[in-house]
Amino acid sequence: MTRESARLSDLVSRRKFILTSGAVGAAGLAGCTSGSEQGDAGSDGGDGGDGGDGGDGGDGGDGGDGGSGDDSTVDRASLSGDVRISGSSTVYPVAEEVSRLWNEEYGDGVGFNITPDGSGGGFENVFIPGDSDVNNASRPIKDEELQRCRDNGIEPVEFFVAQDALTVVVNNDADWLDEITLEDLGEIWSPDTAPEMWSDVNSDWPDEPFDLYGPASTSGTYDYFIEAVIGETESDQPIRSDFEGTEEDNLIAQGVSGNEYAFGYLPFAYYTNNPDSVKALSLVEGGNDPVEPSLEGAQSGNYPLARPLFFYANMNKLQEKTHLQEFICFYVNEADEDYIASDIGYVPSSDQMVEDNLANLEAGIAGDYEFSR
Amino acid sequence: MATEDESVDQLRQASGTRLRELKGQLFEAALLGATLVGIVSLLILFGYIAFDTFQPLTASAQWYLLYFGTLVAPTAAFTWYARRDPAVRAVNAKAFAVVFGGLAVSLVTYVVADSVSPYDVLIYLLFGAIPPLLVGVYGRTTDERTYTGPAIPVAAVLGLGVAALLYGLVRPVVGIAARWIAYFGITTLPVAGIIGFVVARRWSPRHGVMATAAVLLSALLVAGGLLGVGTDPSFWVVLFSTFVVPVGYVVGSTVGTNSEGRIGVLGPFVLIGGVLAGATLERQLAIKGLESYLTPTLLLESWHGRVASEAGVYPQLVGSIVVVGFMAILAFPIGISAAVYLEEYAPKSGWGSRFATLLEVNISNLAGVPSVVYGLLGLALFRRTLGFGTGIVVSAAGTLGLLILPIVVVSAQEAIRAVPDSLREASYGMGASRWQTLRNVVFPEAVPSILTGTILALARAIGETAPLVMIAVATTTYTPPEGLFSSATALPLQIYAARSSALPEFRHGVVPAAAIVLLALMLVMNATAVIVRNRYERDT
Repeated sequence: MTRESARLSDLVSRRKFILTSGAVGAAGLAGCTSGSEQGDAGSDGGDGGDGGDGGDGGDGGDGGDGGSGDDSTVDRASLSGDVRISGSSTVYPVAEEVSRLWNEEYGDGVGFNITPDGSGGGFENVFIPGDSDVNNASRPIKDEELQRCRDNGIEPVEFFVAQDALTVVVNNDADWLDEITLEDLGEIWSPDTAPEMWSDVNSDWPDEPFDLYGPASTSGTYDYFIEAVIGETESDQPIRSDFEGTEEDNLIAQGVSGNEYAFGYLPFAYYTNNPDSVKALSLVEGGNDPVEPSLEGAQSGNYPLARPLFFYANMNKLQEKTHLQEFICFYVNEADEDYIASDIGYVPSSDQMVEDNLANLEAGIAGDYEFSR
Repeated sequence: MATEDESVDQLRQASGTRLRELKGQLFEAALLGATLVGIVSLLILFGYIAFDTFQPLTASAQWYLLYFGTLVAPTAAFTWYARRDPAVRAVNAKAFAVVFGGLAVSLVTYVVADSVSPYDVLIYLLFGAIPPLLVGVYGRTTDERTYTGPAIPVAAVLGLGVAALLYGLVRPVVGIAARWIAYFGITTLPVAGIIGFVVARRWSPRHGVMATAAVLLSALLVAGGLLGVGTDPSFWVVLFSTFVVPVGYVVGSTVGTNSEGRIGVLGPFVLIGGVLAGATLERQLAIKGLESYLTPTLLLESWHGRVASEAGVYPQLVGSIVVVGFMAILAFPIGISAAVYLEEYAPKSGWGSRFATLLEVNISNLAGVPSVVYGLLGLALFRRTLGFGTGIVVSAAGTLGLLILPIVVVSAQEAIRAVPDSLREASYGMGASRWQTLRNVVFPEAVPSILTGTILALARAIGETAPLVMIAVATTTYTPPEGLFSSATALPLQIYAARSSALPEFRHGVVPAAAIVLLALMLVMNATAVIVRNRYERDT
């Protein structure tokens, strides 16, 4: 198993743990669709449902897989209220698209306010003070953030949105390089080795200096790359410091396309929409065959560099607001649709993840959810 | 030897002169270079933005020929003709101002009233405007001027307060009326009143009453006709009242009274007619036009994150206008009052004067504080201390208001300071009090510059992004703000978010097009400043 897919399956099994340990039974898999079938009364029942899922979840079990999100019987067009979504700018395009679809389908009774203020910025400024309903995050919530949420009486309900694959890129003219091993990748970027010349890493490579580009340290992509590729370092910095760090993906691509011996990494969503500017490398892990960066590869777990994207809902607001319940139901059901891959460039959720999300939603509405890793 | 000495001397003098000349020329060239470096680099930058926005290479040669024939050539010819005769030129400028001003006012009125509900606007307008009007009329009829002056603003504030108190009672009653009646109340009534007042002053009160009645009746006719056809007349009532009526008045009165320059009123219509003719022919002849991103979709639809041709910024555009408009209401009275105090009333000696100087120095420094810091201030003040919701219109307008307050104070101070002391002294010499001097002498002189400075401050505020990011104003939303306590949004935020889109047609199409929209909004404000200043300067 690769490190990352191991991590992911780990996440899934954690969810399963929550699932089984929580008060919600197997019937909860139908999630919001079951609650919705009770009509308004059912949703109201969810509001006051401090006593667990009660009968609501039970007889809703026939709600099907909730594949399209359209099988709700709550009249979504008649709902009104606000949904405030803060957080990661990586998840922002998904939130933007899903809310637009809701708006197109059910009218503007529910108003959306979406801000791209970064995973940490969203937690710190908007979600933890209790101002936003949903916070997007391109990484799992940190322990410290979780603690501060709970200090404010907020339980964050975790939902998995999609995966973002990392693409390692070189210049289009670099015909001597089509694939790279994860070990070499780690060696190039590690502060412990920090090679000067390409030939220092592999003698088949040219005797030319590296020109490195990557996301700046404020980016979730950067955090993930360090964790997944470089790992623990002996020196006191997580990554070598002599690279061009920037918040703008297109500056990374521009930098790499400007020098034949340049090297960098960027989100797959950027690469797939701008495939001509740079050349993506296949990755080799262990003794396996090289894997090209692709959404299929990331979804199946063969491509080693894919990070999960999340959003966290404020459980109190989830219990109070029927329109928020319905929107999240819509959201998690949309998260496995193809446009997430074809147009945004992320790996959509698998069916299993949609079911886990719906279970979390059900537990959140009932007030039984408790975040754990 | 004397002659030789002389010629050496002359030579020295001559070369000295030449050197001096050379120095002068070099200095001039350096100045020219400095000017050009700045202007040329700005031009290149705007050229890039305009190129991305309009995509000029996508249109066919016929398209350029078509618009040259219908738009560029006639407008240029007319402008050249109008320039030669000062009377025609003046009328031409006036016609442009009223046509495009009226268009801008009607569009802004409609979109703002539409987003915050026309009924609310009507209620506050009626309650805020009727009491001061009554007081004013009373003052005119009885010649009782001692109390009516101060009573007018008090009556307006009281009226608004009463409106806020009675809102719950009045709103359902007003809500019975059709939407277009609310728009009729917001736009047609004031416009009819103003036209009547102007006509009455220029001709006779009887004419004034007739003009008012004519405006009201024709607006009702327009609405009735549209209702008969089965269309909602709301927008057309607004357009008729705030665009057709003022343009009709200015065109009619100019054609009737100014026989020398009357031809100048055609200017804006040549321009608009050229655009319309070009667009019609383009469709009729199926000519390949610009594949620009600056389309009606961009202006009238809400955001679409995946398909660039369907992305629109309507909610953000209206949000910017609402926020900046409310900010102006908050910041201008405070800023101008502060400037008047510091210039006219603040003690000129002793400890009081030291305190005033300290205040002035601080205000000047505050004008240079980075906008991010104001964002933090807004966050601390409106969210943490006052407990307002995150990113609502009041917080956004308040934060931007704090940001431009020092600029307003400083520019208003400059304007007041520029009024010559001799005028004040003459006024005091006539026995006028300080307040009378201020009202009748200083203000009329200073108003053009005060307005210019404050409108430029508005133009700065409309482009601000950082403070709005700090107070978490929404970037993407699908409806414009519905009131002062609903969540705000602003155009620069969407531009900022869209520039990091993975899709190249957003970065190189939608973002520059939205930037051009923002620039156009700012240019409209600057143009208003220039027009206002020119008008007042001519009048005084």
